[in-house]
Amino acid sequence: MDRKTYPTSETVDFIVVGSGSAGGIVARELALAGNSVVIMEQGPRLDAHEFEHDELKYRQLSGITNNPATNPQTFRTDASETAQKRNSMTYARVVGGSSSHFNANFWRLHEIDFMERSVWGPVEGADLVDWPITYAELEPYYTKVEWEVGVSGLAGSSPFASFHSKPYPMPHLPIKSSGVLFERGARALGLHPFPSPMAINSVMYKGRPACVQCGLCGGFACEVKAKSSSVWTVIPEAEASGNCEVRPNSYVFQIGMNDAGRATGVHYFDGDKVEQFQNARAVVVCANGAETPKLLLNSATNSQPEGLANSSDMVGRNLMCNKGGGAAARFEQPLNEYKGANVTMMLHDFYNSDPARGFYGGGGFTARSGGPLTWGQSVPDGTPTWGPGFKDYLESYTHWMNCAGHGTSLAMPTNRIDIDPELKDAWGVPSMRVTLKDHPDDLKHAQFMVDRAVEIMDAAGAVQIEPGHVGEASGGVHLLGTCRMGDDPATSVIDKYHRTHDVKNLFLCDGSSLPTSTRGQPTHTIEALAFRAGEHIARFARLGEI
Amino acid sequence: MDLPIPSRRQFLTAVGQLASAGWITMNWPQIALAAEGTGHAGHDGAVAPSELKTLTAAEAAEVDAISNLIVPGGDTPGARDARALYFIDNSLGSFWAAQLPAFREGLTEFAAAFAASPGATSLFSTAPEAQQIAFLETVDETTFFMAVRRLTVLGMLALPKYGGNHEYAGWKLIGVENRHFWTAPFGFYDQNYAGFVPYPGTTIQTA
Repeated sequence: MDRKTYPTSETVDFIVVGSGSAGGIVARELALAGNSVVIMEQGPRLDAHEFEHDELKYRQLSGITNNPATNPQTFRTDASETAQKRNSMTYARVVGGSSSHFNANFWRLHEIDFMERSVWGPVEGADLVDWPITYAELEPYYTKVEWEVGVSGLAGSSPFASFHSKPYPMPHLPIKSSGVLFERGARALGLHPFPSPMAINSVMYKGRPACVQCGLCGGFACEVKAKSSSVWTVIPEAEASGNCEVRPNSYVFQIGMNDAGRATGVHYFDGDKVEQFQNARAVVVCANGAETPKLLLNSATNSQPEGLANSSDMVGRNLMCNKGGGAAARFEQPLNEYKGANVTMMLHDFYNSDPARGFYGGGGFTARSGGPLTWGQSVPDGTPTWGPGFKDYLESYTHWMNCAGHGTSLAMPTNRIDIDPELKDAWGVPSMRVTLKDHPDDLKHAQFMVDRAVEIMDAAGAVQIEPGHVGEASGGVHLLGTCRMGDDPATSVIDKYHRTHDVKNLFLCDGSSLPTSTRGQPTHTIEALAFRAGEHIARFARLGEI
Repeated sequence: MDLPIPSRRQFLTAVGQLASAGWITMNWPQIALAAEGTGHAGHDGAVAPSELKTLTAAEAAEVDAISNLIVPGGDTPGARDARALYFIDNSLGSFWAAQLPAFREGLTEFAAAFAASPGATSLFSTAPEAQQIAFLETVDETTFFMAVRRLTVLGMLALPKYGGNHEYAGWKLIGVENRHFWTAPFGFYDQNYAGFVPYPGTTIQTA
């Protein structure tokens, strides 16, 4: 197929910054509606055969993620500190974005997520808010994700799930040994485990093959296109419309603005680090919860000196990364967790916050596996770290699994992305500075999750259990909340249609849009929001309201 | 703000840092911060290095001796069988080249400490194994030792193209078969899995 290209001199209808979970979907919806679209992606475009089963490359050497050497960041826990050079925000830098390397564990939110402030009340030291939309409003778009992008699962299997208007289009993936043991332990405790919904094909779907169970999902891009990454799903559909160009190796560093306060396009560096400008009638930023606020803050103008769309001072604030806690467990017989999709069974019994616990927080648990290289670097307490005893431990690899808890992080305005006053990246663009510290309730909830994980693994018959250590926040891959959605322009950055309150033709849609942290697996929700945003933005364009 | 090149202590601490089992697999980005200046250019499809190019022969002998005590040989492969040394040499000459000075400084301090230890009359690498083990027990919480330990594990388990895991010896040790495609059942416990049984009161929806 000949791919459409647009000259920079042409004023396209939309520029979408970012090609990941949200960007790919928004671009598809806009292109299918007849708009001309250019997707700008920092990283390269790689075909499936170019991805490898190379755990060192992808998990240690920034194979497809932002590289500390070229994309440095600084980090501190408190605004009183001088930030130190350290990368704490991790995201994929490749066409497909983080949908390329995610685990693909796809949960819908529950009704409670959208109205938790009203139900739970305020939390001291945090800014817990309701969403400006409800589950019912988002439900059709969750369904659209499941059918358009491709999700396998068993609807109705969780007694706690919210309303599903349709089943999943594919049956759930095979339950691996970790899932069987997790289910055994959880059911013994009276809990309700269920087959995990996954954005991975369990059967041939929409021209993409079923998962080959290679075992390397999280951190890796799928080599057979079975994982429902935007690069294999919605982006080809956007391109097939004849209205969409994907422009890889294009690093947007500033949004162009005119005196009338309208976005005019984007300044970017091409693959040769040459500065370019692409004209557009409107800009949609889907760059992720760290890069989106960085771009807005680096786009300050004389009339918006504190950063674009930042009259609320909320751009970059309320950073949330999903605090969690869990346990590793060893069993008598081999599980061989290096085979099969990373997650096959989960539970939502502890999803809601419970006042009886004495703190805010909730989440889900999964039976989860990891690659051998990553596993081999850790040693349980009391196990020799070298010598014959350590070797014995290495030989036990196939007997281990993880019971992972994925939970809430409270929004706190002091947790934020802003611009480091000194550090610049390899392109000379001012780097992000991250300020991040856990709310006390997040730490308590993480320990709660560790304790529950230990119980589940014990009930499953583990012969050795290694509880996780709850440490202070040090970063993450779920980059949420930094340009929150809301009805009030004084306290939020975008409205419920993802339009910035301050710039009429500037829209944002990605993890930054989320008012709360969800409960550990946000991508399904981000993609549902993206379908909804794309539909509404296309409508605005059709009505001349941009 | 930090200097662009991290200090020796920062590097060694980062490279050698241990975390509790399981927690790493759930928090992989945080442990992917071993060092600044990482990259993988030159390794895509590369042939495993067959000779040492970074460490001197004397340095290599010391590192190899430490490494082979971290994962000793025997009936099953050890670090020497897996050529973990070649991974260490390769990494310090390519994607972690910026850390080579810090590594060398740590190795020098290690050798000096061994020479000053009771009964030491030779290099660490040529000392009797019992003496080597006794000395390592006194330094196994140092940042240098933990850096060698981590590099050894990586050298056991990273792809052979990086120099170690010779003929997948490390994977054989931990029970991993070198295949990319699998079908269920995957392990002991899912062999006879009867399938998911719905809960009372729920309604399963299927396409």
